[in-house]
Amino acid sequence: MNKNFYTIFKTFFKVGTMLLGGGYVILPLLTSELVEKKKWITSDELCEYYALSTALPGIIAANTAIFTGRKLLGTKGAIAAVTGMVLPAFISIILLAYLFSALVSIPTVQNIFWGVGIGVIVLLFLAVKEMWTKSVTDKFTLAIYLVCLIAALCGKIPLPLIIIASIVVGIFWQKYEDNKKIKEDCE
Amino acid sequence: MLYIQLFWQFFQIGIFSFGGGYATMPFLYEIANKFHWYSTSELTNMLAVSSITPGPVGVNVATFAGFNSGGIFGSLLATTAVVLPSFIIVTIVSKTLEKFKTNQMVKGAVRSLKPAGCALLTSVGIKLLFTSNLHLFGTLLLVILIATSFIKKLDPLAYLGIAALAGLIIGHLNWIGV
Repeated sequence: MNKNFYTIFKTFFKVGTMLLGGGYVILPLLTSELVEKKKWITSDELCEYYALSTALPGIIAANTAIFTGRKLLGTKGAIAAVTGMVLPAFISIILLAYLFSALVSIPTVQNIFWGVGIGVIVLLFLAVKEMWTKSVTDKFTLAIYLVCLIAALCGKIPLPLIIIASIVVGIFWQKYEDNKKIKEDCE
Repeated sequence: MLYIQLFWQFFQIGIFSFGGGYATMPFLYEIANKFHWYSTSELTNMLAVSSITPGPVGVNVATFAGFNSGGIFGSLLATTAVVLPSFIIVTIVSKTLEKFKTNQMVKGAVRSLKPAGCALLTSVGIKLLFTSNLHLFGTLLLVILIATSFIKKLDPLAYLGIAALAGLIIGHLNWIGV
């Protein structure tokens, strides 16, 4: 299929519509649309974009869309892809927002939301568990985790500051480890 | 002033949230306490709603918060703001892709950013735990759902469905405050 602004937008709009339950299903969806059906990029390229997107800040689905869109049609492609990806979410929330305020005043709905609130805590727990196994792998990362957790819980330090501090510490620690390794290799 | 604040707050989420999906939660939680564009219980509802509506959670909440505080224009602004940093950052990274992948500084930063993101999310979970009115039956429901997740992990939607049904029944029996 031709790669132009409209077809890229349409493809990502489709993916955005099917993207239910958070961004975790994005990789299989994009593989089916871009690699298998349209053959616009290879599976390796897509996986690389996805891996990079998870390492960068921001919404993973948006990052992946921008990477892929750029590859397909430069800046224009990136705009088409990210707009397509975001628009279904935007439209559905606007429609729901009108209903939302009317719904929450009904007692039965309040009960359901009370239960759902507990379900959300379970989902957070599962997300933390998964992130933990991928991120806390040694003493250094454990120390970062604990310090950041305490800092976030005390509530006095702005969150961006915690993130910036951990970037700085991470860079210096990597330097320190690299230097240590070079010295050991020399000896 | 509202629009500038709305843009700036969601722009910051785009810059500082690492780890995808729920990683935007700590920031959204902080915004709820600071600006009252939505309450923390509305945020939990939103999180549940985003798992049954299309699109990334971060975009959903940005749209909702923007709409709550500034109507359609507000929602457009907040959504653009949350995506804009991605646009800038990905463009820069794309141009320096090979250098970026092998850079030791990047490696160090990513390595400590992951546990930091995980820690922020943990803090939200803990705060939610203490601010939701769980009482006896809520605690029971939470413990059962988490315990069973160790045996067999269900689809995220299943947990929300079961919890919603439980809320319906427990509420119907007037046991929520017990």
